[in-house]
Amino acid sequence: MPKTATKTRSPWRVLLKPAAVLMIGFAAQAGAQQAVWVPGEPYPVENLKEFACHDYTLPCGKKGSPAIEKVSYTGPRMGDPERGKKIATNVRWGNCMACHALPDHDGGTIAPGLEAYGTRNAPFEYTFQRIWDGRVFNPNAHMPVYGPNQVLTVRDILDVIAYIETGR
Amino acid sequence: MRIRALTPLIFSSLAVMMTGGLQAEELVSHLERTIVGPGPDHWPNRELTVPHVSGDEKFTNSYQFWKDKDAVAEAKKQGKMSHEVNFKDFRWIERSFEADGLASRGEELFKAPNENGQSCATCHGENGAKIVDAQARYPAFNKRLGRVVTMPTQVATCAKERLGKPWVENTKENSLLALYIARLADGRPVSVDVSNGEMKTSYERGRDLFFKRTGHFNFACASCHTPPTAGNFLRGQRPTTFFGDAAQYPVYHFPYQLAGDDLEYLFTLQHQIKSCQSLSRMYPGEEGSPPMTDIEVFLRASANGFPISAPVAFYNLDAEYLE
Repeated sequence: MPKTATKTRSPWRVLLKPAAVLMIGFAAQAGAQQAVWVPGEPYPVENLKEFACHDYTLPCGKKGSPAIEKVSYTGPRMGDPERGKKIATNVRWGNCMACHALPDHDGGTIAPGLEAYGTRNAPFEYTFQRIWDGRVFNPNAHMPVYGPNQVLTVRDILDVIAYIETGR
Repeated sequence: MRIRALTPLIFSSLAVMMTGGLQAEELVSHLERTIVGPGPDHWPNRELTVPHVSGDEKFTNSYQFWKDKDAVAEAKKQGKMSHEVNFKDFRWIERSFEADGLASRGEELFKAPNENGQSCATCHGENGAKIVDAQARYPAFNKRLGRVVTMPTQVATCAKERLGKPWVENTKENSLLALYIARLADGRPVSVDVSNGEMKTSYERGRDLFFKRTGHFNFACASCHTPPTAGNFLRGQRPTTFFGDAAQYPVYHFPYQLAGDDLEYLFTLQHQIKSCQSLSRMYPGEEGSPPMTDIEVFLRASANGFPISAPVAFYNLDAEYLE
């Protein structure tokens, strides 16, 4: 008897391929119990419990500030100034303009203006440290702790530096 | 199961994941991080705070220009600009007729009888005669409940136990009643007693929370609400210190009307705290909870001696200022 052209597959076999694809996807996010923050979108509220908070019963209520970190970056210094500007001017990302005037962009007056940062010829290591953790220079610095709290990645910081260095 | 068919899919997914992962990994591998010490958990200067509005002297030294309406008028005559008087000149002191409509809705709730014919007025008097100054004295320690409660929590408790109404904190009814109760005390100076006992402990805990560095950015409330930040531009807004403003809450937040429920622009004080927390990437507190109550105690006590103005609108449009 010739083999029939139409294959009759059991429902389980039909589901096996997409199920395996989904499992790969889940494996890729293994360990990620909570929502992943997409920079530029609101920070997932439940993730904020990872940091110190105003609460008496949650564990974050007992957390303190992150330790002060001195950093030394010896990698390639290339950065994308356009991406840096996106980071610096986005309230839901770097939010730099809340406090700083930026190259070709208005900002708050709480912090030194960075409109002409490129003319200051600041050492690269100094600028990197200021962004990663400014408390190395002043323990009570107002500057957000971009490094220790993983607000910005190394690449993000390189891009922001490239952007502010365009300021003339 | 034929794995062959899936192989290209598996490898291409892995390739995509690994390429993105490798780039970030490579940059981070050139970064050396050394811990040099613990970060301060609190913003400095909380030892300078006192539970009275005049405490602002130690922070901005502008209290003499805005301590009451006459002082504000005098400051304007002298040509003082808003930022020279800690922005306390035009924001709060004038009443708002838009907000008055909301307070009247609160009055209706106050008088509306439930199925047993009982209303808030039954116990508290027609037109709130028996609680005209309550707003000035709250938050307060409730002996029966055994804890410090804010006015919205007191309203929620009374509503549930006496009238069988589910008007918990941050509901429309609760906020409208809170505004009406605030209007009853209009003009009276805030007098929250934090001199001893549970109220004193609550004030100190609230003060420490206000100065505690929290959240994604590691800001304290005090980071922005004390000088030098208070007085400068933060985005397009200008923060002020924490002295005095609590006297005007609940506040009609007109320019910030949000979509959805038509009362989202009536801000109780804890709603305001929660809004600030959300903007600053701090985990937002629960209204009526002990930590939020403690922060409210700290803020209201920091308005002691300052007259209640209710109902007012946030950024009230006082035309005089524009000239």
